[in-house]
Amino acid sequence: MRLTNDIAGQESNCSNAEAPLVDGRGIGKSFGTLMALAPLDISIGAGERVALAGPSGSGKSTLLYLLAGLVPPDRGELILDSQPVAGLQPGKELSEAVGLIQQQLDLVPQLPVIQNVLAGRLGQWGILRSLASLFSARERKSVEVVLSRLGVADKIDEPTSHLSGGEQQRVAIARLMIQAPKVLLADEPVSSLDPARAEEILRLLTGLVADTGGAMVASLHSPDLIREHFTRVIGLRHGILQFDIPARELTPTVLEALYDLDREPED
Amino acid sequence: MIWTGNPKIRSLARFFEARWFLSIVLVGVFLWSLTGVDWNGSIVHSGGGSSFKDFSLGLFPPELSPGFMKLAIIASWQTVVHAVAGMTLAVIIGLPLGVVASGSLGNPSRSRLAIAVVVRFVLAFMRSIHELVWAVLFVAAFGLSSLAAVMAIAVPYAGMLGRIYSEVLNDVPEGPLDGLRSAGGSSFSVLVYGRMPMAITDMLSYSFYRFECAIRAAAIMSFVGIRGLGFEIQLSLNDLLFGEVWTLLFFLFGLVLLVDYWSTRVRRSLDS
Repeated sequence: MRLTNDIAGQESNCSNAEAPLVDGRGIGKSFGTLMALAPLDISIGAGERVALAGPSGSGKSTLLYLLAGLVPPDRGELILDSQPVAGLQPGKELSEAVGLIQQQLDLVPQLPVIQNVLAGRLGQWGILRSLASLFSARERKSVEVVLSRLGVADKIDEPTSHLSGGEQQRVAIARLMIQAPKVLLADEPVSSLDPARAEEILRLLTGLVADTGGAMVASLHSPDLIREHFTRVIGLRHGILQFDIPARELTPTVLEALYDLDREPED
Repeated sequence: MIWTGNPKIRSLARFFEARWFLSIVLVGVFLWSLTGVDWNGSIVHSGGGSSFKDFSLGLFPPELSPGFMKLAIIASWQTVVHAVAGMTLAVIIGLPLGVVASGSLGNPSRSRLAIAVVVRFVLAFMRSIHELVWAVLFVAAFGLSSLAAVMAIAVPYAGMLGRIYSEVLNDVPEGPLDGLRSAGGSSFSVLVYGRMPMAITDMLSYSFYRFECAIRAAAIMSFVGIRGLGFEIQLSLNDLLFGEVWTLLFFLFGLVLLVDYWSTRVRRSLDS
């Protein structure tokens, strides 16, 4: 199945001429005998905001981890920003290309907020600089700017474990803003938030993508949020691609079929 | 059992690690040990009663004369110095070895695993020999000096610390580490920004516990002739001066309490 970059053509006309930021050709992943993600083609251009939908265990997280370069694909080739991911220098170049917000667990609870945010620079910093910054934080100004944009500037020196779930979510976003990758990946960024906060977080992420001129891929379940904040939606089920459509074409019928518990796996 | 990829070896390992198997072995060893006791001989020493009485009476009162207190303070100071220096050296040696043994530095590879396994064996060797035996060896090498006492504590304790550090560093949750990796962190920055901060409380509390042990170990270094609290206890015991023995025991107890108090303070300041 070939996924094409048709949304970029419809919704914005800035990216068709350029090479796609993400170009996965037949990428797939198995864990032992379990096929976590059947080989698929995926191409994402600048300005696109792609939602991943599908029941638990459908391969959304696996796809995000593959795109983040944290897990190598078993087969196929993944090209990020015109370079094969295997050829990207693991720290610096990879972190400039992609960044990931994981499901809740991505911050070090014992570190103060500023250090968790500055971790977004680790790809750029050498060993000595990273170590020195742990004792006397570098670039405090830029962290202050980012945190105040997110409304948590007063928490800058607090231990991260003292923050509420919503505040920690912002710190994770602040880290990503400091990292400023071209492609922003988020694994269920709003799953534990109330509707108002979910709205706000997605607005912040959308704003971040607009600032960097990059793209975003996020897994989430709410059809309303997908229609409002995303340009394109990909459905996965049992690791197999079900659909790849513009977000506004996502109807309740399509979604019900995706999440239907009684349907058997196709393979 | 992380280095056994072979499923046959793994299932064998699981068999030997099974709870019922271990329980049977432990009960068996205990029963077998009973056959080693000479039940017909005198298990209890017949003259022990009067000795115990003399020893207990020494408590009323313990020896508190200024001259002896000064001696006890000097002996305590010697013991503390040996323990602190030995422990400091143990942390300096144990921390890097523990990091290497945890296998968390560098890119995943066969050679990294091989180095980790070798270091684990070195650590096991260091701690499998008791500090008193090390003391005998180091006294032979350096004479009856403080250096021998310090080394005799540093070497086995570095082995224990390194082993525990490597386990604690490996047992931290993976989520935050993946977060640092996706932000471009090298294995070194993942270590100092992720593993260390998450493991530091456990590492510290184990180190303080070992520090208590080091004080006791420094005290008994007298068995090979090194000076300190244990040396004075031995002298007083030989002279049957039980009042002095009690005083010295209180000093030892006081030292351990002091370390305990200090470690509680440090851990509390880290937790908040």
